Amino acid sequence: MLSVIDLTVRYPSQAAPALQGICLHVAGGERVAVVGPSGGGKTTLFRAVNGSVLVQSGYVALEGERVGEARGAKLRALRRRIAVIAQMHDLVDRLAVYQNVMAGALGRWSSLHALRFLLRPSGAELAEAKAALERVGIPEKLRSRTSDLSGGQRQRVAIARALVQRPTVLLADEPVASLDPARSEQILALLCDLARERGLALLCSLHQPELAMRYFDRIVGLRHGRVVFDRPAAKIEPEHLVFAS
Amino acid sequence: MHTLTIAWHTLLAFFPPDLSPSYLRYVWLPVAQTIGMASAGMVVALSLGIPLAIYVGTRAPGWQGIVGLLSALRAIPDLTLAILAVVIVGLGPAAGMAALAVFYTAMVGKVFAELFLAAPQAPLESLRATGAPRLAVALFGLIPLTLADLLTFGSYSFECAMRASVIVGAVGGGGIGTELVGAVNGLDYPRATTLIIILALLVASVDTLGWLIRKNPRIALVLFPVGVATMLLNPPQVFVVRHAFVTFAGMLPPLLNPKALAALPALLWETLEIAVGGTALALLLALPLALGAARNVVHTAITAAVRRVLDVARAVPEIVWALIFVVMAGIGPLAGALALGIHSAGVLGKLFAEAFENVDTAPVRALEATGAGRLPVVAFGIFPLAIGPIAVHTMFRLEWNVRAATVVGMIGAGGIGEALFNAQQHMHYQEMMAYIAATWLLVILADVVGERVRRRLGWNYVTT
Repeated sequence: MLSVIDLTVRYPSQAAPALQGICLHVAGGERVAVVGPSGGGKTTLFRAVNGSVLVQSGYVALEGERVGEARGAKLRALRRRIAVIAQMHDLVDRLAVYQNVMAGALGRWSSLHALRFLLRPSGAELAEAKAALERVGIPEKLRSRTSDLSGGQRQRVAIARALVQRPTVLLADEPVASLDPARSEQILALLCDLARERGLALLCSLHQPELAMRYFDRIVGLRHGRVVFDRPAAKIEPEHLVFAS
Repeated sequence: MHTLTIAWHTLLAFFPPDLSPSYLRYVWLPVAQTIGMASAGMVVALSLGIPLAIYVGTRAPGWQGIVGLLSALRAIPDLTLAILAVVIVGLGPAAGMAALAVFYTAMVGKVFAELFLAAPQAPLESLRATGAPRLAVALFGLIPLTLADLLTFGSYSFECAMRASVIVGAVGGGGIGTELVGAVNGLDYPRATTLIIILALLVASVDTLGWLIRKNPRIALVLFPVGVATMLLNPPQVFVVRHAFVTFAGMLPPLLNPKALAALPALLWETLEIAVGGTALALLLALPLALGAARNVVHTAITAAVRRVLDVARAVPEIVWALIFVVMAGIGPLAGALALGIHSAGVLGKLFAEAFENVDTAPVRALEATGAGRLPVVAFGIFPLAIGPIAVHTMFRLEWNVRAATVVGMIGAGGIGEALFNAQQHMHYQEMMAYIAATWLLVILADVVGERVRRRLGWNYVTT
């Protein structure tokens, strides 16, 4: 599904490459956690997968199509298939919840369709938003103001938006960084269930190795821009995780 | 067709501008005076307005009273203040500076206070929870939280002060305003064009200065020596003061004869029509222009061109646009509404563009990550994220335009200003004060209504 082949990324302002010779494969329905210290390259890896960073060598391929070479409409078409869930700050506060949720469909809608939806959403569109919110457990928030939601609810709205996008890859960059432990577990469980149920390749960066071991099939350790280990969660030894904390 | 021909020929009479070396040497001093007066006004406005705004923003005891006082002061148009200042301080730059200082203290104080009050409360609460005193809350919370908007509005009000510095000159406050009105009244249109070009260049350089100040706020300190020097070089003529108090006492109480009183509602209504019509025209023009001027929406090659158009519209004050439109479209409220509309389109276009550029980038990037095209990203992200500032700016502009609508009447563009000006010219000072009081009430009403609508606009976008 998602392949990262010998990927090297170097930022102009820095001597050391941010990523160096990364190789990674994630199959549909597979749940992979990326752990490692801050500055280890997790965010750069996600940006490279999403095609928003210039790649020096190697490439990222989505079902055989190279992300890095796409531009304009083609890049947008590829991005449509990769849903991104960041920390909870990426919703538009002033929109209603259903508007934020259906923003996931913008990649497949025409501009006119998008404007029409803002003015007068159709019943089918509202139903789709409602179904997505039902799946993430907050259908009653359909028409709420987004700024009135709690941190955990905002994260659920972001996930609902990702569902509406109908992606094949789900990227979650520190999705639980600003949530309390109980909410963190709920959100991770939800992400992992969704990946299995819809056959999505889930790539999720995490600070907490113990959560990674509990919820994910595979764990990748990233440090100084290199993969230091990549193995099934069941085969992770304590010494693998010392560096991450 | 005939009127259009006349309008065209009038327009041609403004060209070419008089750029002879002798004239350019002559206008140097009035130009310097205008800059100095604006700087002096802003120095006073910032030194008094910021402490007042902080007092209000930290919700210190009696803050509502300060807001009321600032609103009351702000409700007197700058030109009206200048007329009063000329009577009290005497002809010349001192009167202009006094009017600007009062007007912009109220403006800076009120707008900064509103921005402080609208700042997110959670970080402030946590600062207060540490037991921090008011000033510390302001320095570590209020100002950092609102800095981008403070700098935008601070440099914007300096631009306004520069234009107002020209305007107050028109009634004897010194600077190039006096020159400009003299040129137009003397039908010397080529020199009027020269002065308008100088004015546009002046405002353009203030715009650049504002941009530099936003990048490095310390540059704003340049204002202080320039402003203080101008104040020292142009002291008020003290002996006029005693005479002025006598004159001022003669203006009270405000009084209208029955015939004038009966005509007042129609005058006020016409003033409102000018203001609302002008603002509506401005909004219609400014929204598309601002999208074209926002560097995060379209390519910078386009924004540069659109910004020049906005600069020209903005650089020419309402009064000067009104002078031109009265000559071209005839005396009456239409000229007033056109003048307010064109000038406000320039102001709102720039402020809207900055609002679009100042939006939080995280939600916009999240939308782009869904593969959305440019227009949907604007419609779902940039526009709703900026709708708050857009509503605030529009309502402030409507308030401003109510004030401006009272002023453009003074040169024949309709509304209450015409009656005010005639009363002043005939030295019917009690009648003049009555019109000033009516203007003041009208502006306060606009303020109150503006506040309500602003609040509602903020909510409306959500509950479709």
